[in-house]
Order: sequence, then C-alpha cells, then structure tokens
Amino acid sequence: MAETKEFPFNLTFPFSRTLGATLSTFCSALAQGQIIGVRAGGRVIAPPLEYDPDTGAASGTDWVKVGPKGTVSSWTWVPKPTNLHPLDRPFAFAFITLDGADTAMIHAVDAGSESAMSVGMRVEAEFKPLADCVGRIDDIIAFTPATDPSPSVDAGQPFVAPDENDITEMDAYCDLTYVDNASPTTMMWAAALMAGRLIGQKCPQCARTVIGPRGMCSVCAIELDESHVIEVPGKGVVSNFTVVTPTPYPGQTETEPFARCSILLDDADAVIAQQEILDVGVNDIRVGMHVEIVWAPEGQRNVDDIDNRSRGSGGDAILGWRPTGEPDEPADRYLERMM
Amino acid sequence: MAPTENDIAIVGFAQTAPDRRTNLTESDLVLRSIKKVMADVGIDKSEIGFTVSGSCDYLSGQGFSFVQNTDAYGMVPAINESHVEMDGAWAMYEAYVRLLQGDIDVAIAIGVGKNSNADPETLFTMEFDPYYLTPLGADTWSLAALQARALIDAGKATERDFAEVVARNRAAAKSNPYAQVSGDFSVDELLAADYVRNPLRKADLPPTTDQAAAVILARGKRAYDLCERPAWITGIDHRIEAHLPTMRPDITTSVSTRLAGQGAGVGSGPIEVAELHAPFSFQELILRESLGLDASTEVNPSGGALAAHAVMVAGLIRVGEAADQIIKNGRNRTLAHATSGPCLQQNFVCVLEGDR
Repeated sequence: MAETKEFPFNLTFPFSRTLGATLSTFCSALAQGQIIGVRAGGRVIAPPLEYDPDTGAASGTDWVKVGPKGTVSSWTWVPKPTNLHPLDRPFAFAFITLDGADTAMIHAVDAGSESAMSVGMRVEAEFKPLADCVGRIDDIIAFTPATDPSPSVDAGQPFVAPDENDITEMDAYCDLTYVDNASPTTMMWAAALMAGRLIGQKCPQCARTVIGPRGMCSVCAIELDESHVIEVPGKGVVSNFTVVTPTPYPGQTETEPFARCSILLDDADAVIAQQEILDVGVNDIRVGMHVEIVWAPEGQRNVDDIDNRSRGSGGDAILGWRPTGEPDEPADRYLERMM
Repeated sequence: MAPTENDIAIVGFAQTAPDRRTNLTESDLVLRSIKKVMADVGIDKSEIGFTVSGSCDYLSGQGFSFVQNTDAYGMVPAINESHVEMDGAWAMYEAYVRLLQGDIDVAIAIGVGKNSNADPETLFTMEFDPYYLTPLGADTWSLAALQARALIDAGKATERDFAEVVARNRAAAKSNPYAQVSGDFSVDELLAADYVRNPLRKADLPPTTDQAAAVILARGKRAYDLCERPAWITGIDHRIEAHLPTMRPDITTSVSTRLAGQGAGVGSGPIEVAELHAPFSFQELILRESLGLDASTEVNPSGGALAAHAVMVAGLIRVGEAADQIIKNGRNRTLAHATSGPCLQQNFVCVLEGDR
C-alpha cells in the first residue's frame, strides 16, 4: 500500500424515535419496573411486537405481565465488551424466555464468568433504580442468575395499560468510530497545497481537468493517476456562486451569510468549486468576475483536514480568492457550464 | 438453446483484489471493478442500458457515499441508474427485473464496501432493531453465536463441524486468486483457538475486507454477442423472515432459504456447484440443509465468504463465482446464494444454467 495518512472520526448523532402504541406501552411499563408481552396468535410475544411475526395480523392490546425471571435458551460470551455494550465487564448475551412468555428476548446476563452460563439456567431482570428508568430496553441493566429459581409471581397475569402512556418517544444515539485513510490522489493534492501549487488531473479522453482529489474523470469513467497531473493557474473567473444563510445546528460555526463560488481557471477546462471570495461582500460577488488565489504564507499552511471527502477544498492552505480588478467577462458566457 | 426475449444471462464477472485495508476510496474500487468487467466482456459504457449498485453509507461513514460512487460510471450523457442499500446480489436482482421490461439488453450490477474504516463489532449494531437490540449494543457476532449454540443444542452440529467448514473453505480458497484468507489448517489447530463469542472462534467469523465486484447481464440473443457460454438465470427468488431471531419459529434452520430455493427451482435438477454466502462458518451447514444439497454438490470452491467478506459485495461474488463456473468451467447448473440481516434473516437464491 502506497503512503497514506489516517483520519479518525466519530459519527455521533441523536435520534428521538416515536414509539407507536405497542412500544410506548412496553416502554412505559418498563419505566415502572414491569416487563410486558402481548397475546397474539395464541401465544405471548415478549418483548411485544406491533404485528404477529407469523401472520402479520395486528397484535392488539391484550397485554400480559412477563418475568422478571426467565430461562436461558441460548447464550454467548462477550469477553471484551465495546463502548456500546451494556456492561463494562465480560458478560453473556442470551435468548431469555421470560416466565409467562412464549418467545425469547435478547438481553445481557451478568453472570460473572462464562462457566456460570448454561442453557436452561434461571435468570432474573435487574433494573436500574426506578428514578433512573427512562422507558428503554436498557432500563434492565442485565439479567443475573436467579437466586430463587421458582416461577415469577405475577407472570402470565393480565397487564392493564393506562389510558395514555407516559412514554411515547425514545432517545437513541449513534456513536461510531471510523478511521479512513487518504487515497493516493488525496495525498498528492495535500502535498501540492503545502507547496503552494494548484494541481488537477487532465483526462486524456475528454481533455477536461479535474481539480481536487478524485482520481478519475467522472465524465469518461477513466482512472486518472500521477501521470495525468498538470499544474493549473491560480487565476480564473467566477462561473457560479451561491450565498448560504447559516442556520444553527450542532457544529455550525458560521453566523453571517457567506458565499461559495465555482471558479473557472484561466487557460484550463477546469473548475474549482466551493471557494471563498475575499475582500468583497457577498452582495458584490458577480459571475464573470476575475479572481486570483491567495495562499496562506508558507509555514502557516495546514492540510491536516484534507481527506478523501474534501473535493477540492484547500484546507488552511488556500485563504481564498480575491478580485483582480480586471473588467468582468460577460456573465452569459458561463450559463451553460456545468463542470 | 435459442433464448427467448425473457431469458437473461450473466455474461461477465469481475472483482477487485480483496484487501484487509485499502487506501482506495469506494469510488476508486467501483471504477476498477467496472473497467475490468467491461474489458472482459468487450463493451464500453455506451452499451450499458442500466447501472445499479449495492453499498451502505455506514461502512465508509459517509452520508450519500453511493452518490459519490456514481463518479465511476461516467454519467455524461445522463444514464439510467439505481442503488440498493443491500448487498450487490440484490442490485443484480434489480438489474434482472429491469431487463425483464424488455426495452434494454445490457445491464451492470455492482457491489462495493470499504469495510476497514470501522469496527465490525460495533458498526453492525446500527443494522438491527433500534428499540430492542441497538440500545444493548447487540452485535452481529453475538447474534450469530446465539444461533450457533442453538444449532449445537439441537444436536445438529458440533464445534468440530464448524471447524471442518473453516478448514475446507480455507483449503479451497488456495486456488482462488481473489481469496484474502486461505491455507491448510487442521481442525484440531482451529479448535485450539480462544472463543471470540463462545461457541465461535475468530476463524468462524467473516474476515474484514475492502472490495468491489461487478457483473454484466444481457438479455436474449444479445448474451451470445458478449459471451460464448452465457450463464442463464433460470430461477431467482428472495425471501425474508422476522428480523428478531427469537421471533422465528426455529433458527437452527432457514425457512426463507428453503422457500427461496424452492422458488428458484433448485430441486428440479442436480446442482453441480453451489456458492453459499455464509458469513459465519456454521451457517453453511444451515444453508446446505435448507437448500437440500447433498454430497453430489460441490460447495464453495472459491472458499466462500470465509475467504473474503466485504459486506455489500460477498453475496454478489457468490453470483459471479457461480456464473463463472458455467462461463469458464463448463458446468451446466450452479446455484448462488446471498444473505442479509442477523442470523440469515434474508436469503436470495439464484439458479444458473449453461447451454447443454
């Protein structure tokens, strides 16, 4: 593998899921320390589903108390839990058929050691303190080996749901770690930026020049490599632009409207997109305007953020483009230009 | 055979080298697989009537990654294009259905997955039931292990049987230039390893792979222009079971595979070679039984999904390998299988036949 550079990043984003009638009943009961199932198709499904998985018929509202004890029907051992697992010490995942239920639920068993696990073992739900329960499946911290294997007291009894459920939504988080690595084209682009050179890859078939890390001509579907690299001038004409009005969202640092411009480079069939224009307000940017690149001074260029998704971004190496003051080109010359 | 307009064949298959860690992007991988299969078949993009890919944003960690991947198609002038958030085998299924409409003759289906960017132990928790499974970090390895123990507990297989599947696939993979994991391993040696998820060891788990693959399909007589011995698709079916494994009547068998096999007409003649998409060793045993395959069928001469397993690609590779058995190896009737979801939730079966 050629020289590359790794880019670790986290994908973290919140979901707030609406629960619907069946799950909100289950989650509301769970927040009270009660596990329930639903009678459907002549059996008790727990945890409850909106539809009988065999027939697709609606499950209805014939709720049944199940557990808190149950019997393990299959298990596996997680010797090194991840950050997503419910316990930070080795534990089991198991199929657990709760007392009063005809189907199994999947949950963790905090058994201490692998040798404590067996098919047929009796386990019991261990809830968080009720004050901490939010109505989510992990309100049950884990199941633990039952000290008293006798049947659960209330299991199989009807559960009377309140007219309105307390809990109708569930917060959930996606939290994933990635490590991407820079493609050969990305490495080339970043090195050129550091040297204050603007490069593109010229397609041998259509003669268009692709700016920024791509490694292919997306018109001809041809692979482009180092042999196709050409230096392109740091001068050009604004061929299109948009003014973005920032809306607040997590991570947004812009507060004022800003412009992102496409620049058709002089003497090259090449557009560099998503560029910032310096020295003039967003209302004074015009299609047809001549601009030239402004590099960050050597020693202050930073391309650490240039990854495979940068697509022509200059990182901190390109400060922006400033108007040269030459007379504008006619704007309609750029009307038909796509790339 | 004189094909009718509704006969559709696979006429070419190509894959990129399976890497544990590539520094290419998914778009780069797509381009390389497409260029290779087009060169093999001898066509250029102007002859493709429909392009469809299978990939998943979560793999690379980039929203709408499949849009960037279309750079590799050369979409000027505009093309007829589609995408499935499924293994490329399902992209191939869509291409097949698209060809049945009768207005185009050639289609290409692609699968791509850069799997090495994320940890498979955490990543695929996002694939599962968001209410009952994802909040527990219930991972794909654990769910597979729960199915494996159920199989053992039912008396249908032993850990030694699992290891034998591994040993056979890895040995077969030695003659597959596109295998990432291959070699001679003794069953005892495999059984001596620690559990990753009891009763599964690392060798029972799928490898992590970065890869792309592509197949070209052609309709009716056009198939003979592109291929001397087309692999005709004579049966194809896809069946799904309940997502939660515990809601299925019996996870030691695969009802959806059995039904898909029946739908594809597996039993109407002998199957010489079956390429089964079993990400976990023991699942090959379940699939063999559910498809009714006996010792006369050679299973996974490529080494199967244990030899390389790029999620979103490994199923399409089964289709390509089964097709190549007809196109290049002179076999008459082969089977390809692809799976998706926890514990073999979804299963796709395709029967391919050559001219006799």
